[in-house]
Amino acid sequence: MNQPLLSIKKAQKHFGSVRAIDGIDLDIQENEFFALLGASGSGKTTLLRMLAGFEVPDGGQIVLDGQDVSHIPPNKRAVNLMFQSYALFPHMSVFQNIAYGLEMEGLAKAQIKARVDEILEVIQLGDLARRKPDQLSGGQRQRVALARALVKRPRLLLLDEPLGALDKKLRGDMQLELKRIQHEFGITFIIVTHDQEEALVMADRVAILKDGKLLQSGTPREIYEQPGSRFAADFIGVMNFFPVQSSGGTLRAQDGSVIQADAIHMADGPGVAAVRPERLRLDGPGENSMTGTVTATAYHGLDLQVHLKTSAAPDTVVMRLTADAAEARPLSAGDTVTVNWAARDTRAFAD
Amino acid sequence: MRGTTNPRLMLMILSAVFAFLYIPISVLFALSFNEGGLPTAWTGFSVKWYGELFRNADIMGAALNTLIVAVISTILATILGTLLAVGVEIRRRKGRFLETIIFAPMIIPDIVLAIALLSFFSLLNVTMGLHTVIVSHVVFNLAFVCSVVRARLKTFDWSIVEASTDLGASMFTTLWRVVLPVMLPAVIAGALLAFTLSLDEFIIAFFTAGAGRDSITLPMQIFAMIRFGVTPEINALAAIVMTVSVVILALSQRLNRGGLPGQ
Amino acid sequence: MTDRKPLYLMSPALAWLTAFMVVPCLLILALGFFRRGIYGGIEYTFTLENIALAFDPLYAGIFLKSAWIAGISASIAVVIGYAAAYAIAAAPQRRQATLLFFAVLPFWSNYLVRTYAWIVMLNREGLVAGIATWFGYDGELPKLLYTESAVVVGLVYNYLPFVILACYAPLSRLNPEIAEASRDLGGSGWTTFRRVILPMTVPGIATGFVFVFVLSIGNFVTPALLGGGNFQMIGNLVYAQFLTANDWPFGAALSMFLIAIMMGLLTLQTFATERASGAGREE
Repeated sequence: MNQPLLSIKKAQKHFGSVRAIDGIDLDIQENEFFALLGASGSGKTTLLRMLAGFEVPDGGQIVLDGQDVSHIPPNKRAVNLMFQSYALFPHMSVFQNIAYGLEMEGLAKAQIKARVDEILEVIQLGDLARRKPDQLSGGQRQRVALARALVKRPRLLLLDEPLGALDKKLRGDMQLELKRIQHEFGITFIIVTHDQEEALVMADRVAILKDGKLLQSGTPREIYEQPGSRFAADFIGVMNFFPVQSSGGTLRAQDGSVIQADAIHMADGPGVAAVRPERLRLDGPGENSMTGTVTATAYHGLDLQVHLKTSAAPDTVVMRLTADAAEARPLSAGDTVTVNWAARDTRAFAD
Repeated sequence: MRGTTNPRLMLMILSAVFAFLYIPISVLFALSFNEGGLPTAWTGFSVKWYGELFRNADIMGAALNTLIVAVISTILATILGTLLAVGVEIRRRKGRFLETIIFAPMIIPDIVLAIALLSFFSLLNVTMGLHTVIVSHVVFNLAFVCSVVRARLKTFDWSIVEASTDLGASMFTTLWRVVLPVMLPAVIAGALLAFTLSLDEFIIAFFTAGAGRDSITLPMQIFAMIRFGVTPEINALAAIVMTVSVVILALSQRLNRGGLPGQ
Repeated sequence: MTDRKPLYLMSPALAWLTAFMVVPCLLILALGFFRRGIYGGIEYTFTLENIALAFDPLYAGIFLKSAWIAGISASIAVVIGYAAAYAIAAAPQRRQATLLFFAVLPFWSNYLVRTYAWIVMLNREGLVAGIATWFGYDGELPKLLYTESAVVVGLVYNYLPFVILACYAPLSRLNPEIAEASRDLGGSGWTTFRRVILPMTVPGIATGFVFVFVLSIGNFVTPALLGGGNFQMIGNLVYAQFLTANDWPFGAALSMFLIAIMMGLLTLQTFATERASGAGREE
């Protein structure tokens, strides 16, 4: 593998007694679309601000293109940030906003105009160039903010919750739009989000942060199918948890039944066995089986969600049946069913 | 804004500005306790100038006049200003002309209002005295009370008025039992503001008090003392006057978390 | 509620304002166009003499002088006040309210007393002279009190708290990410201030400047106390027409100019605020 574009090495940042970033190591490759995923307070925003230069790490290094940039101020870094609030200059027009960063580079007027016009074309806002930010819709503002950062052709573009302020429909469109633009420009994107779905849809790789530490990183598929901890399993997607006691590699649920799992990330003692709803089958193959009562069904178009009450788990167990499977075996509340699932789809974690 | 500024420079600016604001006042306070009474030399701590002050009949008389003016004009202004504020806010329809009239007393230069009132009273052959000062002070005081009360009413939930009416209360009962209790802190804050403005007001009083010695207010007395021969008592007087207004206004601001409008 | 009831509530106050503000001010407007009587009274014949007299070099000079002093005072107050407001807005959030409170506190005390404090400071035996002597200066000190500079210092001192308040408002509402965006796009600290922060806070500066200018140009207390006996500004001139020279029509004409200047500046301020459209507003 070539030298990574960005290396975060043992980065640390304290605010008073709070460890916002607690020793993070992470490499990001050229041209990647990378997502930092975490709840609020996980340190993801601090890490992003550190990459932009607004926070100086207390320890460790930020290496960009082989050069330690930890102490280089934000205005001297080939890194640009698209702010969560967009932070458009309200007294400048769309054109002036986008031109600002190029003026700072001391480019000639004609050159600035050419580059701004070019990027306005890309974001399809050419005819709004003279508008002020408060005359734009939320989606338009978001695109101006993106263009303003992109036009400088940074080595690294950081996006802080870029879709947070948009409504749901617009978010879907913008997710694809961002991917298209990233592809077109060939610039490395790092996006911070608390929305796991957004991270899975857009990113080539995802890192999960918790309490200032890097919990797990990998492709969306790896993160979804092979979560490395109970937190990661719970944070991404929907997961069924069965409380278990482990002894000598045998997992026993609360009603005494044995659950078989291929991946066991726990020592002997209490823990949980986890399985995704779509891995549960009605009367299908699989080493594990369980009987339960249907408490509710919810129609989701593509699939049917079935809620089950079982003796093996205190919480409701969720099962997702494809439309075909649901049609083959109509279910209603009160029915008693037996579900099966495979050991390879089952993972066990410490509490 | 933090992080983009130089903390040491900011600290320097703040120190310099606060020194500029507070050194003159502090010197005055210190001086009021100076035995010798002169700014040149510290001759020992003494409260004798405060004693002198209370024995000075002119000053005490002026202080009494000021108190009379401030109390009466505050009461009048509070009633008028509060009613005005409620009326304007209920009305919802905003008239530009109305807003200008209500806003004008706060921004019109004192000297202009002062000479306007002087001309007005003299042309009507009104004998001037404390009563004309009171009438004049009500003009700007009611505007300030109104603006403080209106600020509170802006966040007032008018649906509780409708609720009260719906439950069978008359307009008056609703005002008395529902609206007034909610805005009482603002009314008191406005009254306290008006009271200090009136205590400290000089220019309008100076023009509308007439020529008689018995209608001199405290600020007029202070002006005369500064202008025609400074005596050490004035330091003590200054210290008291300053403390009184600051304490009352601090109280007013505590009551009214919305903040006071600039003077 | 019907639209009638608000009128009952408003009418006492509106009647008061009409009788004791609107009518007297209209009276002043009218007075300016009457002739001065022989014994100081008013002769009710229309004339433009008073307006013309205001343009007499003697009086026009006083007007210019007043405008000059008011302009200098307002400029100094805005520079100091803006810097102070900026420093307060840059302080940790939990300290800002306290700092602002103490910056405004002096404003609440008596104007005369605050002005008097500067007599004590600038006196020949005052603190400033004392400090100069203490530092070993034993030559003849330049006259400090009863000068134009003393008047400017007094005006700046008295109105500074208001300017701090006016400038703090837009500065504190500034979204910190906007300044960061400018840094991120390559702007230095100074560029960020000049091109982003300053233009967005123009309304506060305009408000502060207009306030100090208007209150200074019509001021007669500060010139009378700190400027010495011979020092005249428009305020003193108006004062003299009414209380000593007994030329009320001319005094009225002079104050009409004061009002005109005030209204002109307030319009300008509104314009400045509107031009910085959206500035200071949060995203």
